[in-house]
Amino acid sequence: MRLHNAISTVLFLALAPSISSGQDVHWQRKDQPTEPSVTIFHSPQSANLPTATVIGAGQWQFEISHRFLPPFSDGAGALWGLDGPIYNRLGLSYAPTDRLMVHVVRSNLDDNLELGGKVRVLEGGGETTVPFQVALAGGFAWNTAIEATGGYENNESQAYAQLVVNTLVGRRLAIGVVPSLLHNPTIADRDAPTELTVGLNGELYLGRYLSLLGEWNVSPPRGELVHDAVSLGLQIETGGHFFKLVATNSARPNPTQFLGGTPYAFKPKEWRFGFNVTRLLAF
Amino acid sequence: MGVRAILSMGAVVWALASVAGPRPAVAQEYDVAKDADRHVRFVSTTQVNTFDGVTDRIDGYVFLTDSPLRAGMPTDGSKLYFEVDLASLDTGIDLRNRHMRDDYLEVGQYPYAKFSGVLARVEDADDGGLRVTASGTLRIHGVDRGVRLPCEVRPDGDGYGARCAFDVLLSDFDISIPKLMFLKLANRIRLEVAFSAVPAEEARGGER
Repeated sequence: MRLHNAISTVLFLALAPSISSGQDVHWQRKDQPTEPSVTIFHSPQSANLPTATVIGAGQWQFEISHRFLPPFSDGAGALWGLDGPIYNRLGLSYAPTDRLMVHVVRSNLDDNLELGGKVRVLEGGGETTVPFQVALAGGFAWNTAIEATGGYENNESQAYAQLVVNTLVGRRLAIGVVPSLLHNPTIADRDAPTELTVGLNGELYLGRYLSLLGEWNVSPPRGELVHDAVSLGLQIETGGHFFKLVATNSARPNPTQFLGGTPYAFKPKEWRFGFNVTRLLAF
Repeated sequence: MGVRAILSMGAVVWALASVAGPRPAVAQEYDVAKDADRHVRFVSTTQVNTFDGVTDRIDGYVFLTDSPLRAGMPTDGSKLYFEVDLASLDTGIDLRNRHMRDDYLEVGQYPYAKFSGVLARVEDADDGGLRVTASGTLRIHGVDRGVRLPCEVRPDGDGYGARCAFDVLLSDFDISIPKLMFLKLANRIRLEVAFSAVPAEEARGGER
């Protein structure tokens, strides 16, 4: 018996390497699948109002936007407004992190040059609860070439601050509320107090690339800017572009200009064409 | 028979088994090392542009019934499994990532690309490493396709470092090719995979 045990021990020792690891696979997944962050507005900007969306860290965004001054109602003789003239806006944004983006934008209306930024400060919800995002935005603007005279001297700078709250309803409808404080809303009036405006914007996603957008910024009437700015339009998105085509009663492109209001009522007779084209760049 | 005699006999048998007789098969599982460099890259090349997407989220294992890996080794019973977390693919532009995730790969429904198969052949490579061919099934977007994957493998510590490159056709996996993307995607996509695999005990935290 002892001999039998001894032989068993020897055989076990001899064969141990071949069975020590067994024949079963013990691998188990080490990580859970990545959960992409919820997207509410696809674009960092509606027609004019900001959204809480921030472009990816390290990315750049170039923008060119036009607002045509003549309304559609000028008819075929003015090519429904497309003959111009236009107000043009050029912008460049950069996101140092996934939450922060900074920008410089310039419009040829008073050669308004703005430095600004946006930071997403809060987000929540997801697949099972209503998602939301909150951002703070703001900027300083200088009107560097004011053609009109009287009241404008030494009153070229403006500033604004915004709270941006976004949510998504039913996975297809993004809604935003954007209260804004606008300092020096009317550069013709150096005594004009800082004013509060409230923007509402929404976007209805129709498919992979197409959505309807709308925005309305409620602002107190002041000077010639007696009406709220309203824009309705269409957004087309591709792998790196957003194309926004809008009908609007505002031709004032930059935030300190748009937020103050517009001289035109939002009536079909005063609707004019505008577009924004943005391109994301990664170097 | 004393204990000393038994141990001596055991040593002799061990030596004979190791030197004179056929080498005993040693089964070993190797897992993808989480702490080592790993990456999966896809490259789309058209006449107009080239762009790529990368992720380091590859995981899986290689199970050899007769370790170590060597040229001409028997491959019967070997098992390979790899999976790539598709939602983590980064093309450098968030918007493009989202389109890719949501519209083409549909990662909510098909979160992983998976390969499961066996070793088909192991040969010596000119550079001193090994040329390993794996055959099996690649599952992307819920569609299975038979594939053969050529890889270059080198010993690396107790495990191996592997680099594989092969092409897939998006149409084979029922992935529609974006038509409205300004950066047009090619139907033929180059996939490059690199990872290290270490003994499973080591991968699980050194519980040898």
